[in-house]
Amino acid sequence: MRPFSLIRPTTLAAARARALAEPQARPFRAGGIDLLGLMKEGLRAPAELIELHALSATEGAEMRALAATEGGLRVGALVSLAALARAKGLPPSFEALREAASSAATPAIREAATVGGNLLQRPRCWYLRHPDLECLKSGGASCLAEGGENRLHAILGGGPCYIVHPSTLAAPLVALAATVTILGGGGRRTLPLEELFAPPRERIDAEHRLAAGELLLALELPAPAPGLRSVYEVAKEKLSHDWPLAEVALSVVVEGQTIRGARVVLGHVAPIPWRALAVEQALVGQVASAELFARVAPLASVGARPLAQNGYKVALTQGLVRAALHRACDVPIPE
Amino acid sequence: MSQSSAILLSLTLNGEPVQVAAPAHWTLLEVLRYKLDLIGSKQGCDKGDCGACTVQIDGLPALACLTLAALADGRSVTTVEALGCGPVVHPLLDAFDRHDAAQCGFCTPGILMAAESLLRRSARPVTRHEAASALAGNLCRCTGYTKILDAVVDASERLRAEHDDGR
Amino acid sequence: MAADTPTQSPEPASAAEAERPDLTRETWQIGKVHRKVDAMERMRGVARYTDDLKLPGLLHAKILRSPHAHAKIRRIDASAALALPGVFAVVTGQDFKIPYGVIPWTPDENALAVHKVCHVGDGVAAVAAIDEDTANAALRAIVVDYEPLRAFFDPEEALATRDREHTINPYARKGNLSKHVLLEFGDVDAQIAGAELVVEGEYFFEGTTHGAIEPHCALAQVEPNGVLTVWSATQVSHYLHRELAKVLELPPHRIRVIQPPIGGAFGGKSEPFDLEFCVAKLAIKTGRPVKLLYTREEVFYSHRGRHPMKMKYRTGFTADGKITGVDARTILDGGAYSSFGLVTTYYSGQLLCAPYRFPAYRFDSTRAYTNKPACGPKRGHGSVQPRFALEIQLDKAAVALGIDPIELRRRNDIGADVATVNEFRVGSNGFQECLSRVESASGWRARRPTLPFGQGLGVAGSTYISGTNYPIYPNDMPQAAVQICLDRSGRARVFSGANDIGQGSNTMLAVIVSEELGVPLEDVRVLSADTDLCPVDLGAYSSRITLMVGNACLEAAQRLRRRVCRSVAQRWQIPANRVVLAGRMALDREDPARNVSSAQAFQWAEADHGLLGEVGSYNTPKDRHGDYRGGTIGASPAYSFTAHLAEVDVDTETGVVHVKKIWIAHDCGRALSRKIVEGQIEGSTYMGFGEALMEEHLIDPAHRGVHAGPSFLDYRMPTFLDTPELHAMIVEAPDKNGPYGAKEAGEGPLHSSIPAIANAIYDAVGVRLDRIPFSPPRVLAALRERAQLEEQGLVPAHKPDRRPRSAR
Repeated sequence: MRPFSLIRPTTLAAARARALAEPQARPFRAGGIDLLGLMKEGLRAPAELIELHALSATEGAEMRALAATEGGLRVGALVSLAALARAKGLPPSFEALREAASSAATPAIREAATVGGNLLQRPRCWYLRHPDLECLKSGGASCLAEGGENRLHAILGGGPCYIVHPSTLAAPLVALAATVTILGGGGRRTLPLEELFAPPRERIDAEHRLAAGELLLALELPAPAPGLRSVYEVAKEKLSHDWPLAEVALSVVVEGQTIRGARVVLGHVAPIPWRALAVEQALVGQVASAELFARVAPLASVGARPLAQNGYKVALTQGLVRAALHRACDVPIPE
Repeated sequence: MSQSSAILLSLTLNGEPVQVAAPAHWTLLEVLRYKLDLIGSKQGCDKGDCGACTVQIDGLPALACLTLAALADGRSVTTVEALGCGPVVHPLLDAFDRHDAAQCGFCTPGILMAAESLLRRSARPVTRHEAASALAGNLCRCTGYTKILDAVVDASERLRAEHDDGR
Repeated sequence: MAADTPTQSPEPASAAEAERPDLTRETWQIGKVHRKVDAMERMRGVARYTDDLKLPGLLHAKILRSPHAHAKIRRIDASAALALPGVFAVVTGQDFKIPYGVIPWTPDENALAVHKVCHVGDGVAAVAAIDEDTANAALRAIVVDYEPLRAFFDPEEALATRDREHTINPYARKGNLSKHVLLEFGDVDAQIAGAELVVEGEYFFEGTTHGAIEPHCALAQVEPNGVLTVWSATQVSHYLHRELAKVLELPPHRIRVIQPPIGGAFGGKSEPFDLEFCVAKLAIKTGRPVKLLYTREEVFYSHRGRHPMKMKYRTGFTADGKITGVDARTILDGGAYSSFGLVTTYYSGQLLCAPYRFPAYRFDSTRAYTNKPACGPKRGHGSVQPRFALEIQLDKAAVALGIDPIELRRRNDIGADVATVNEFRVGSNGFQECLSRVESASGWRARRPTLPFGQGLGVAGSTYISGTNYPIYPNDMPQAAVQICLDRSGRARVFSGANDIGQGSNTMLAVIVSEELGVPLEDVRVLSADTDLCPVDLGAYSSRITLMVGNACLEAAQRLRRRVCRSVAQRWQIPANRVVLAGRMALDREDPARNVSSAQAFQWAEADHGLLGEVGSYNTPKDRHGDYRGGTIGASPAYSFTAHLAEVDVDTETGVVHVKKIWIAHDCGRALSRKIVEGQIEGSTYMGFGEALMEEHLIDPAHRGVHAGPSFLDYRMPTFLDTPELHAMIVEAPDKNGPYGAKEAGEGPLHSSIPAIANAIYDAVGVRLDRIPFSPPRVLAALRERAQLEEQGLVPAHKPDRRPRSAR
């Protein structure tokens, strides 16, 4: 790593002011997992790191919160994945989030990595990560994955760049209708989490819609509707320390046998956490059954345009959606 | 020469207060190995991918290569050197030795630190699967993991038996 | 001893030492469980691996590497780097004009590129600086003017070009042909033509790498007496020593090579690398000690991993499953340099002729240069890939002929004390017992016919060498030598040039000395792999150490033992053969109450004979090989045998293969130390499992030949959670050429794990995976293909009566 200084502001205002003065050279540091990786790979050489853990107790309270709120949950951006996975009293409805938080990366990384960092980390595309190559995201003229090794790239919503969004928490959080609170120049604003993510068509230099110097403060999960259940299903080549080939997080509200609401979110198949709206629409109002799930699962990949090596993700995603629906609705997989 | 400023760290290291100066951009692994000559924590990948540098910070497993040294200020850091000290052999080390759980031994200090953290936090003997889950960030390329799991489960049972005996 | 051990450590240090010696037993240490002589210091973080060494005035070196796969170097300007404060020296290819190569016939690489770079990651310049940050800054300040050349990433394409301009390796004499071997034994075409079943298959074995957790590291210093000392994480100190002398133009006696404790190797540290030459030269230039630790990326670019092999096999069978002939064509993708490639090309064919009898055999293997990191030896050098092909061929035959796959293998067993079709002499052979052990432990007979669709069992067998009969450079001196001294305190010192790379060879030597001289392991000090202090040994490769160094050690120990026993016998006035050395004592076999301590016995012997020192040497028997060109390559004093049986569960929806269990039975001749042997079996099987399921050393041809993820994140190696239950079983068919009958255990048990998994996948879901790794995308594609063929009625449904009802 190239030398840098560590700045330890105690107030949010000071942290933001410091970053705003030179946003590229002064990133915020929280868990530092992805940031140090980028710095060690020579992809970033900041002059200063702005240490968010230095915030005073009062100033950092919101970012450190992990608390129940009227049936819901508030998760500060500085909460570690391990703390989230271990949290006592996480409502059973939020199971998908707990499963995702306890399966990402490795045990030691989960102790340090933060919820905010997980949502804002850079993609794992090896072209982006290679110091000697220039892809669209690193200032080049074209996406190198499009005609290269693209086994792990996007089948949905890709183009002109085909990264998949790297966050494991994003899918379950979106499935649970999380909102995110951001502190920026105009003060605080809150938006649905899914609106935080920017597809490459909209923005190529980052995967989010934060402006320079904006800080992600916390996430809020609304109180689950009665009967809401959530699950997380993932396929990986390696069970630990590997990015998913595909994943699905979904929440369903079941009344009796009837599905009253559904949010189905696919991960690692698109540059952003991908709402499978066609599946959601096909589920709502229907009676949960194996036949229904077999019928709706293929809708998960509506619009998919696989690249040369990632066509398998279509079948894989459909299979995961089906398995997730069975588990969420407690419908046994037929023998 | 490195341009970044030096910082002065005060931490509790293996139970004792330590003050050390280091460049501001150094990781905890660099400070341990280069400044304090605690060479038990190894550099295998320097990216958090192999776990050979695993230490404990406030009792929880941490990757020293991804921890900025400055952030260890005021905290309690434990390295494998702490396990080896004292007049008696630590039960975990003893179990690793009896089960031949270390071949080249390069990953072993990191595995010991992750395992010790697990056993200390576990109210009952751990299962093989619990041990495997807790160690899933530590790569070993020699053993096929079998004898490491034998050793961790064995040590866990012995530690618990000692605890129950009130020793 | 046990009684004094504090409560926290209730076990004796080793099972052996708590016991009084059992004089009715033939041995008192061999085959027992031991604590390794050097494990505790490694585990406690006390042992100093190369990167843990510090010297006063130490400089740090870094190597600038090529971003191009193939380019001429027009100019290197290091002036700005040299001008940086804290930079002490820069070296380039101009400092290393003498080429080297671990195989003396193929010296085709330079420590740093002289005129051209041949793969991304090729070393171009090295700097020594006051610290790593400064060294890195200096690398950024070096300007290299490259002229890119057309690069070749496909071996067949590389072979097809005859244009000198497109010759990759600067020393290549035949275009991009690195080595071609064509050998035929018997009339293969006639034998296959006359077969009742011919199985044809094409296989691709992807390149994989070693993945030792310790990156390569070297440190050099010029001592006050002018001797150059190089500490290196190498597994072949002697070959490194030779090549350093050659390239640096120093007499060997002015160089000392020391191998500190090493953090894994697996073949990946078995030849000289650029860093060793660089630190040596920089230390000479600066007069200060210089250290270089590879980054993980550099380890991937230095590679020398398993060759990708494209294999085409034709195998003939009789109706009762006997092999009639094997015809193999193999293309090896060698990368930019030869490394051990000459040997690999031979091994790709020569090591296949057991455990099955081939009446006729032909192999045609071609190694090409490509613009990729050089391939070399990885655990199971050269023979893991063809074994993958052959064992699937056998499985296909078993299915076609309706013969149980274990039974088919039994029928082809070559047996003991025979010659293979390529004229290698095989001694002991425990393969039949290996098959029986995995068969019964897995419940194969009862379970295989009943496992439902999606679950399956697969079997495979293999063999491996216990060292190669001939050294890498021709000479008539011993292949291994050991020196042992006893002193009056009752202690033994063992000096051995052998490299302990975690496989436990230091402990193996201590076990032999302990066995012969009666002192417990803790009283044996093993000093190894220091070229100033130890006799020459060729190093840790080709699974040679237990057999060769073990034999040398045994010879020295037995010489000492005879002297000690004679001295004791004289004082007791009994025949020397009544004296037993065991349990830190010398005893009278017929009156065990008459005994003295080992220290006393050694003192008597020292008084009689002077200082107690002996040497032992080992050279290979010269009647084991074939009488034809290349007939010595692959011949070994003894062969190990292995059977693997894997149980898998295939998720047909995700394509994820879950390997639940692998049973492994390995004939190691005689286990000198049980847990160490088990650990080798488990570790080998794990490594094969990783290659089968997830490992791929991929170079991206579409983008300049960069590595597709040179990290432990992108190069997937199995974690604690992925690795199946491994059930290692030791089979002992003692070989007269091995110490106490011992053969190798460190590499053989890798081979058949991969085809066993492939065969189990077939049993589970009816698809053949003829290329590794068996990743979800491939499995899904194969399942889809099979489903289509079933729908078209071209193949019957697999396990139709054992599928879930809904899927029938």
